[in-house]
Amino acid sequence: MEKMKKSIKNADKNITALLGIAILIFVAMGILAPKSFLGITNLQGMCIQFAEFGVLAFGMMLAMISGGIDLSLVGIANFASIAGAAVMIKLGSSNASIIAGVLAALAVGGICGLFNGFMIGYLRIPPMLVTLCGLQLFTGLGLVVTKGPALTDLPPAFNMIAGGTVALIPIAVIVFALVVLGVSFLLRSSVYGQHVRFMGTNATASRYSGIQNLKITMMTYGISGILGGVGGILMASHYNSAKSDYGSSYTLLTLLIVVLGGTNPDGGRGKVAGVTLSIIVLQLVSSAFNILRINAFIKTFVWGMILLAVMVSMKLLENKKERRSQ
Amino acid sequence: MNSKIKNTLASNEAIVVYIIIGLSLLIGIVNHSFFSVSTVVTLSRAILVTLTFAICEMIVIISGGIDVSFPAVASICMYATLKIALAFNIDNVFVVFLIAAVIGLMFGTLNAVLIAIFRLPPLIATLGVSSVANGATLAFLGTNVISNIPDKIDAVSRMYLFTFTTKDGMSFSLTILILIPIAVCLLAFFMLKFTMLGRGIYAVGGDANAARIAGFNVKKIQFIVYMSAGSIAGIASIAYMILMRQADPSVLMGSEMMVIAAVVMGGTRITGGHGSVLGTVFGVILIALVQNNLIMLGVPTHFQTFVVGLIIVIGTSITSLRAKKISNSAKV
Repeated sequence: MEKMKKSIKNADKNITALLGIAILIFVAMGILAPKSFLGITNLQGMCIQFAEFGVLAFGMMLAMISGGIDLSLVGIANFASIAGAAVMIKLGSSNASIIAGVLAALAVGGICGLFNGFMIGYLRIPPMLVTLCGLQLFTGLGLVVTKGPALTDLPPAFNMIAGGTVALIPIAVIVFALVVLGVSFLLRSSVYGQHVRFMGTNATASRYSGIQNLKITMMTYGISGILGGVGGILMASHYNSAKSDYGSSYTLLTLLIVVLGGTNPDGGRGKVAGVTLSIIVLQLVSSAFNILRINAFIKTFVWGMILLAVMVSMKLLENKKERRSQ
Repeated sequence: MNSKIKNTLASNEAIVVYIIIGLSLLIGIVNHSFFSVSTVVTLSRAILVTLTFAICEMIVIISGGIDVSFPAVASICMYATLKIALAFNIDNVFVVFLIAAVIGLMFGTLNAVLIAIFRLPPLIATLGVSSVANGATLAFLGTNVISNIPDKIDAVSRMYLFTFTTKDGMSFSLTILILIPIAVCLLAFFMLKFTMLGRGIYAVGGDANAARIAGFNVKKIQFIVYMSAGSIAGIASIAYMILMRQADPSVLMGSEMMVIAAVVMGGTRITGGHGSVLGTVFGVILIALVQNNLIMLGVPTHFQTFVVGLIIVIGTSITSLRAKKISNSAKV
């Protein structure tokens, strides 16, 4: 009980810190560049961007809670979006074909994820290796379909998924919110959520307590793949085309988000609220950089620095706590 | 004795060799010009840098870690060294190699500190370092390709071990830079096989706790592994620069995938504790063979990424399944 109280306190600290940073950036940017930063176009633009990698980040988070990692998400997203685009083009790019395209993208994402899950859970190949190979494989499959150039000629209404708004709220954000609700429902209120946490904490113990690790692993990576598909649809809709090398920087970004959001890289722990906040914080940082016209490559540099700094400080805090409890 | 031969013939290295022979025969049957000295020369040119990276990566993986930062580290070594050389009019090959090795050593030390002292997961730590190094190169040093390499350094690209001329006057020359991967391979082989340090690396990768109890200084070993990986990445980057006769800050990015794949194909277990130099050499040759010769087999270019990915998936599955089988089999 004592321990639980402590961990709740700790997680809350992480979330409060993120919230504080977000507000800080908002205020700072509101003073530095009020017109461009708080303008409705910038806010909407930010929403479209964070929805893309935010959805992918939840896939990464699930994989990480299960004790693995999913480096193939960007590959899955691109391959799924290409498959969806190919279906839509085949059906004549009519607006009705969008549904078929979206379903195809989700299905392809799910299948790719299940493939990962099978390799990890059944063949017991380390997740990092499987998904690293998966990235290459899915990117390659995407290239096979497109033969190199981007697939264009998508239905005109398809662009609305990322660009359209309902009462000033971009549709992309609604999709993102649905994903957040779905994932938090899974982790909080479903049996699967409990099991995946157990498995991430100790796979052997969870097997002996009657949890089917293979099933949970397949489900985790399957859901992660479907989220990859959702991310792919958003990306394709944003660029109005599908290609196998979009969003290559998202792998590092999603990893950064998930770790920053308080997910334990060794598995077992992770909060939807933390990850959601860290998505928003990183998007704010990124937008602030764009508006202040800072070289885009510095962003890569800063992200790497943040990742390392967060990890190191987390470890230091953990060590301190351990020492105190001894 | 008989069982020893049997074991050798069924080892991971042997399987890779069978695949290489099979693939070579297949390519040779489709395209007769494959069996020639020129193929060997082109291939050795192609594997020069990859092999150097792969040996470092193998040692890191044997020690139970992973390093995905070496392409970024190599890029910053290559680009920063050339900028320094141009700024201070340094026109000496050895000095240039030394500068690059020192820069690489610094990043290697950073990796080592993060992994050995702060105990971050190696993948995340090196991914972060990769991002920092890559961002620093592109943001602070520049993005342009530099091709005015100082003369004496550039001259190394025209130094050859031997030159081979075909009947129709085409000449193929084996560059002197091939000595770098050969030296690294030999060094790694003797280090892993015959020194206490080498055995310590295997021990740490197998079980860090057991190694510590057995008296190995785990932190020291991790420091040596990551620091030498960093500095050798620096040396390899200069070799690459001389070979390509230009310094492109982003050309090496993304090569970590192929290198890790080559290492794993060569029988190194990604979980640490197992691996051999010979296997890695064969793994690198196999990947280079596939990458460079799929066109000869009539595979269209847009299929290549997929085919390479497929071969990697199959290759890594085989090694992992064998490892699983061995660990499940009865222990004596």
